[in-house]
Amino acid sequence: MESKKLKKITAVWIIVVLTLFVISIVLGILMRLNQGGVLHHAPITFYSNMTIHGITMIGIWFVAGMAGINYLMERYVKTSYSANLIALILTVIGVLMLWAVTLIGKFHTAWTFLYPLPLRVMWAQWATPVFLVAMSILTTGWLIWGISMMTQVLKKYSIPQAFAWQHFKKDPAVKTPPFILISMITLVGVVTCLLVAVVLMALYFAEYFSKGSFVNDALLMKNLTYFFGHTIANEMLYLGLAVIYELFSEVGEKPKWKTTWYVALAWNFTLIFILTAFLHHLYMDFVQPEGFQIVGQIASYMASLPAAAVTVFSVWVAVYRIKIKWTLTNLLFFIGVAGWVIGGFGAVIDATISNNIVLHNTQWVPAHFHTYNILGNVLFSLGFFYWFSIQFTDKVVSEKFSKLILSLLIIGGAGFLLAFYIGGADSIPRRFSNYPAEFTTAKPLANIGAAFATIYLIPILILFYNISKRCLKILFPSS
Amino acid sequence: MQQSSILLLFFFLMGIALIVFTYIYLSSKKADQGMSNPLKKRFWFFLILTIIMGIFASVTIPKSPYFAFADKTPAKVIHVAAIQFAFFLSEKAIDREKPSGQQIELPVNEVIEFRVTSFDVNHGFAIYDESNRLITQTQAMPGYVNRLRYKFEEPGKYNVLCLEYCGVAHQLMRTSFVVK
Repeated sequence: MESKKLKKITAVWIIVVLTLFVISIVLGILMRLNQGGVLHHAPITFYSNMTIHGITMIGIWFVAGMAGINYLMERYVKTSYSANLIALILTVIGVLMLWAVTLIGKFHTAWTFLYPLPLRVMWAQWATPVFLVAMSILTTGWLIWGISMMTQVLKKYSIPQAFAWQHFKKDPAVKTPPFILISMITLVGVVTCLLVAVVLMALYFAEYFSKGSFVNDALLMKNLTYFFGHTIANEMLYLGLAVIYELFSEVGEKPKWKTTWYVALAWNFTLIFILTAFLHHLYMDFVQPEGFQIVGQIASYMASLPAAAVTVFSVWVAVYRIKIKWTLTNLLFFIGVAGWVIGGFGAVIDATISNNIVLHNTQWVPAHFHTYNILGNVLFSLGFFYWFSIQFTDKVVSEKFSKLILSLLIIGGAGFLLAFYIGGADSIPRRFSNYPAEFTTAKPLANIGAAFATIYLIPILILFYNISKRCLKILFPSS
Repeated sequence: MQQSSILLLFFFLMGIALIVFTYIYLSSKKADQGMSNPLKKRFWFFLILTIIMGIFASVTIPKSPYFAFADKTPAKVIHVAAIQFAFFLSEKAIDREKPSGQQIELPVNEVIEFRVTSFDVNHGFAIYDESNRLITQTQAMPGYVNRLRYKFEEPGKYNVLCLEYCGVAHQLMRTSFVVK
């Protein structure tokens, strides 16, 4: 009974995420076409689209990761269906409110809603408080979900066991599955950043309702905003990795991955780096304490070491000269890891302060984070979605069709991303609705980006149709 | 040119990643003996990466803008105030109630200090040279003054763009100054 409910709610999550993904990609293509001079939207329309595009993308792939680990966590511990359902309901409500706020209210602070921009009302008066309420609703739903999953893990595993500390000794009596370790570490980060979001919202509400007597500190708010924003995006990726640690070997019909002392060490250290890396968003705020800036670069650099030496290397060990059963699922995982690595190069380059001074807020920034997503984390989640959908329905996507899907994803993704990387190297600013005439490469690159994004959209539509159809069968089994 | 080296480095690393991943994928089609000595290889991989990152960190961190010309006295101080949607540049402190600016001319090969603030939301103070290349920047924050020190080695006209999204006319915010 319980697992039937979990199956169905996971199917709902998948359909919701994929639907919003398709719509958000279309919004993104419209944005690039506007920047390319093909479309002529008013700047307010561009920036409202930009705001909801960003919020939706981060939101959906975050909940996709949470839904993925919730579903797989049931293999190890009993998870709470109510928490999952509450999160789903509050997510849908929050997202609908945010779509109203941006598309109807013309709220356009960008997804980072950097203080004090949300309070400088240049849109419908109701949009600011509704935005703050919507963010609070999302935060509440996700906190309930995250805390619930952590609690369920801790009912079976003690704290040291959940963090796999017993693996630092030889032959531990209790073994912590890698999936539990990574989920736990990631959920700590998720819950922490959501708690910071609560503080951020409280400070916003205080100022909003104070009629001018309470004014926040811009530097503090920036730190809080980026702690929340960076960390949730980073953890979104690691939720996808938890799924890979659990499923990669299984899908390839190979022995399950085990937690070793270096897996435990790497993931425990990762927690420290994830919680401090956000400081790299404030490099150009010279009033930020210097020590924090340096910690930002070091933490950002160090975060790549366990990622590369443990996760990526483990994927290589699992594949190199091993006759794996390759299916669409593990191919998506494998290509996603490559995309994540390449995005990581772009990120580490930008996380170097002496580079950041000429890259910050140029197109290099959307270049690297779109790499992490469209050819990284999105593929992780699509792998999970596809794997889930074929568990309970028959017929899989043919090998030829899989090759077509993957080729279009790679070609479309690569072209779209290269336009951004070249744009960044050309010093083209990000978040501009239209480009100053002196940036002669800006418009062509925008149109090239739009064209390749459209190529990327094709396999996404195919997968959307294919996976949603299966998920609908799971929700409404034919009599 | 810094941006060219950055792009080249990125393409080089991307190329290596693509080759490695493709090679590993293709290897899985053939034999079935796995990687020999994976733990040893993993250790060396980690060590080499750590050394490379360590070198990059120690070389680049001292080049951070916070330390630039820290021990020098600037030849000129320029006050910058950003608002939605304009910049004011002045050799005098800018009055918040009646902000005003002036045409700015800076000496070449001298250390200049820009004291940058905002009177409303976050903006970016980003300086572009005559070939439209971004050469330096800092944030303009309400309630704070960011001090950016720079030495212009080439005379000419430099443009300033807003590089922190600030609202509906963000893409129109600009100013310029001359270096002689």
